Amino acid sequence: MIRVENTPDSLQPTPAIRRWLVLFVLTVFVAALVWRVGDLQLRHKTFLQMEGQARYLRVVKSPAHRGMILDRNGEPLAVSTPVESVWINPQVLAKTLMPKTPTDESTKIDEQAVAEHIAKWKTFGKLFGWEKADLERVATEYPNKQFLYVKRHVDPSVSAQVEALDIEGVHLAREYRRYYPIGEVAAHVVGFTNVDDQGQEGIELVFDDWLHGIDGEKRVIQDRLGRFVEDVESIRPPRRGRDLMLSIDQRIQYLAYRALLAGVKHNSARSGSVVVLNVDSGEILAMVNQPSYNPNNWSDRVSNRFRNRAVTDLFEPGSTIKPFTVAAALMSGQFRPDTLLDTSPGLLRIGRHVIKDIHDYGIIDVSTVIKKSSNVGASQLALSTAKDAMWELFFNVGFGEITTSGFPGEVPGLLPHFSEWSEIHQVTLSFGYGLSVTPLQLAKAYAVIASGGLHRNIRIQSTEELLLEEKRVLPADVALQIRQMLESVTDSDGTGKRARVNGYRVAGKTGTIRKSVAGGYSHNRYISAFSGFAPVSDPRLVVVVTIDEPSAGKYYGGEVAAPIFSEIMSGSLRLLGVPPDEHSIRARRIVLAGDRIAFREDPLPLELFSPFLASESVPQ
Amino acid sequence: MVSPVPPQAVSAKQAGRPEYPLDPWLVGVTLLLLGIGLIMVASTSITTAGAPLHYFVRQSMHVVFGLCLAWMMTRFSLKMWENNGPIFLLFGVISLMLVLIPGIGHEVNGSTRWIRFGLFNLQPSEPIKLLFIIYLSGYMVRRNTEVRTQLRGSINPLFVLAIIAGLLLLEPDYGAAAVLFATALGMLFLAGVAFWRFMGGTIVVALLSAGFLLMEPYRLERLTTFLNPWADPFGSGFQLTQALIAIGRGEWLGAGLGGSIQKLFYLPEAHTDFLFAVLAEELGLAGAILVIALFAFLVYRAFLIARRSEVRGFPFGAYLAYGIGLIIGLQAFINIGVNMGMLPTKGLALPLMSYGGSSMLINCVAIGLLLRVEKESRFLPRKDVV
Repeated sequence: MIRVENTPDSLQPTPAIRRWLVLFVLTVFVAALVWRVGDLQLRHKTFLQMEGQARYLRVVKSPAHRGMILDRNGEPLAVSTPVESVWINPQVLAKTLMPKTPTDESTKIDEQAVAEHIAKWKTFGKLFGWEKADLERVATEYPNKQFLYVKRHVDPSVSAQVEALDIEGVHLAREYRRYYPIGEVAAHVVGFTNVDDQGQEGIELVFDDWLHGIDGEKRVIQDRLGRFVEDVESIRPPRRGRDLMLSIDQRIQYLAYRALLAGVKHNSARSGSVVVLNVDSGEILAMVNQPSYNPNNWSDRVSNRFRNRAVTDLFEPGSTIKPFTVAAALMSGQFRPDTLLDTSPGLLRIGRHVIKDIHDYGIIDVSTVIKKSSNVGASQLALSTAKDAMWELFFNVGFGEITTSGFPGEVPGLLPHFSEWSEIHQVTLSFGYGLSVTPLQLAKAYAVIASGGLHRNIRIQSTEELLLEEKRVLPADVALQIRQMLESVTDSDGTGKRARVNGYRVAGKTGTIRKSVAGGYSHNRYISAFSGFAPVSDPRLVVVVTIDEPSAGKYYGGEVAAPIFSEIMSGSLRLLGVPPDEHSIRARRIVLAGDRIAFREDPLPLELFSPFLASESVPQ
Repeated sequence: MVSPVPPQAVSAKQAGRPEYPLDPWLVGVTLLLLGIGLIMVASTSITTAGAPLHYFVRQSMHVVFGLCLAWMMTRFSLKMWENNGPIFLLFGVISLMLVLIPGIGHEVNGSTRWIRFGLFNLQPSEPIKLLFIIYLSGYMVRRNTEVRTQLRGSINPLFVLAIIAGLLLLEPDYGAAAVLFATALGMLFLAGVAFWRFMGGTIVVALLSAGFLLMEPYRLERLTTFLNPWADPFGSGFQLTQALIAIGRGEWLGAGLGGSIQKLFYLPEAHTDFLFAVLAEELGLAGAILVIALFAFLVYRAFLIARRSEVRGFPFGAYLAYGIGLIIGLQAFINIGVNMGMLPTKGLALPLMSYGGSSMLINCVAIGLLLRVEKESRFLPRKDVV
């Protein structure tokens, strides 16, 4: 090889050393790159991957299903269904509406895309009634926020449209929405949840711990726009809430609702309540109030309609208390059902006070006090009864004490202690003034009579095992005698004849209560009530109807509340398949004549009877 | 004395014949890089809302068009380029000036780098690189003696370069200016500029750059954020930290093609300047080293071609091949270095791989010229052997 040096005029190759030098430098470059990439990918990987995970791994909730609320037959009263909630990332919206500078080389397409984007946002806004100005307001108000609910629990059609739009920065979140299949029919019993699935009223509130599920958690990968790309692992699976079976019978509930609604409307009343109890178990089969609300419709959720009046609203029971006054008198041993009382001239003077009957009933027996609802008769009975005995009976049947239903806002009512009673107090108490009760308490007290004197706890939850705690508070014979008297109320000449049910023997008591107003009792504002049970031969159901301030002319309990009672009772008995017992009427008559008691198909054992009655009536 | 052999011993007509096939190694490595690049552009831009294949389709069009241009380059004699270098350079400089005129130039991210031609946007800083290399190669052939022996010879082209660099800095496109300076110095060195003169020139350029940087304190600050991106991972260091996370996720074999998380809008410009980071994430150390090796091989091949051309008395081809090898190699090195936080962030694309029309077409043309050099020099007799 000949090197041509110092021959500047010729195009001689440069020394190879130069090329090698440059190649050496380039090799160093390559080596640096290889070292660095290995360093990053093998040595620093833990740090880098942790930094990465801090950016893209997120722990998100997987919402848990809330337990269903069912009626006693397993029909759903409240169910949770998965729905989507729409939320947006205002930051992305702000960037779309107010772009600073285009960020890409192909800006032409970008402008088109931006215009398309804005058009999409507008379509999106229209779905929720947002104008462009609203979108701009959101964008300017929250340019740095990352999360804003647009609407929660949207209809599936809306969420499908949102999904189809597929806008950057618009997201759907899975949540559960509560649906109440029978709506306002059971609104007061079932209550409702708020948008976060927490119980707010009724059973939803009381049994919230039981019903609510425990949200699960899972780790997901999210992209920088906040969209979940992939589930990585489940940290904790969601735990479904437990179902709850109520004692409510949806069919009876509906029946009661319809009857009450019609009755309240027909009588232009302010409000009304109905309670239907199962005598044998103390279970509430139906509980309805007017006015009601539709828990599915948020705009309908006005707080003054939430009141479950059957447990929160007190009223003076009026004449409906008389069976207990009579029972106390019978228990004292001084009276028998056929003991005669002189109620003429239809009024009774106690100190400054005058107790009046509507008519002068003259000489009547104790039974007729109930049948004709004589205030004078009831007062006379009360005056002959010991205060403590009367108080004890009233207390034992459940007045002045909260029931075990567990409804939120339930009130105990007012039953003054006998030590505070003056004579006039005892007298007014005998026909239902000076104490206050809830419709549920009244139903519970009537259930004592209906069950033959047994006090049972009120229950709203339907449980498999019958945890019946029974307590005898009324001797069986007294209970049966009261039952007879109450049945006579629905005789064709009784005050409650409109409460009759074809094919069944019905017992009950009307009540027409003057509402207490400032300075005394009103003369034109009444509560009409009817409380009763059927069938008399073997009582199964207690129904209490109260109508507040009927203002369409009629206001007597026998005219306003009794027809509603009748409708509910007749429908319920048929729904439950209770055999008609009209045929047993004759048996009762015979028993009365022979002074013997055998109201059930099987005669009751004698030891249930009070000693004085037993000693007199045991056949020789 | 050896009588000068006409440099173009093989005519364009002859070179087109089938017995003169293109250099298979160079074609192979180019196609491999193009293919990997295309796959990665598809993978990184698949998350684009609405049009997942938008960038892939466009880049495919760039590649097809670029390959056509490269093939055309292998058909034309290099003589045309050698003789008309200054004129072509003039066009390039004019386009650089045009881009600075408001209304013609198009600004993106604070830099005015694009001229819009309907569907296609031209980035004049890309062709100027190649045009300057062509000009410099021709200049060094024409003024070979001056270049090697006189200061003037080596200073003159640097003046031309200074003008171009000034225009580039106005855009601003520091990356292109830096690469071009480094390439020019490398070419001058390889063309035989006296060693001490070369060192002096290098030092002057380095001092000028340093002065330019220190003139405005923010420049230095921005330049050095790459040294510790974790100091401000959500501000100035955002892009780099995301790129580093992407690379760190790769490990040996990567997350698998399409398995990148960082491309889910965490890493901006994933399909252009930061393609390599996503590649390292999805294909791992193996893929990253493969790409580095392919570039290294491409540069090595260019140097082989250049050297052969040089010893066979075809200096224009030699200088052109050196220049192309240097500029592709340097750009790849800087881009990959930037991706890995070794160098300050510059808007430089990864040649033959990153998304971008101008860069793709120019690099394809450069490869075409390289193939042509190889072809024309293949059957020249060795000149240094008598």
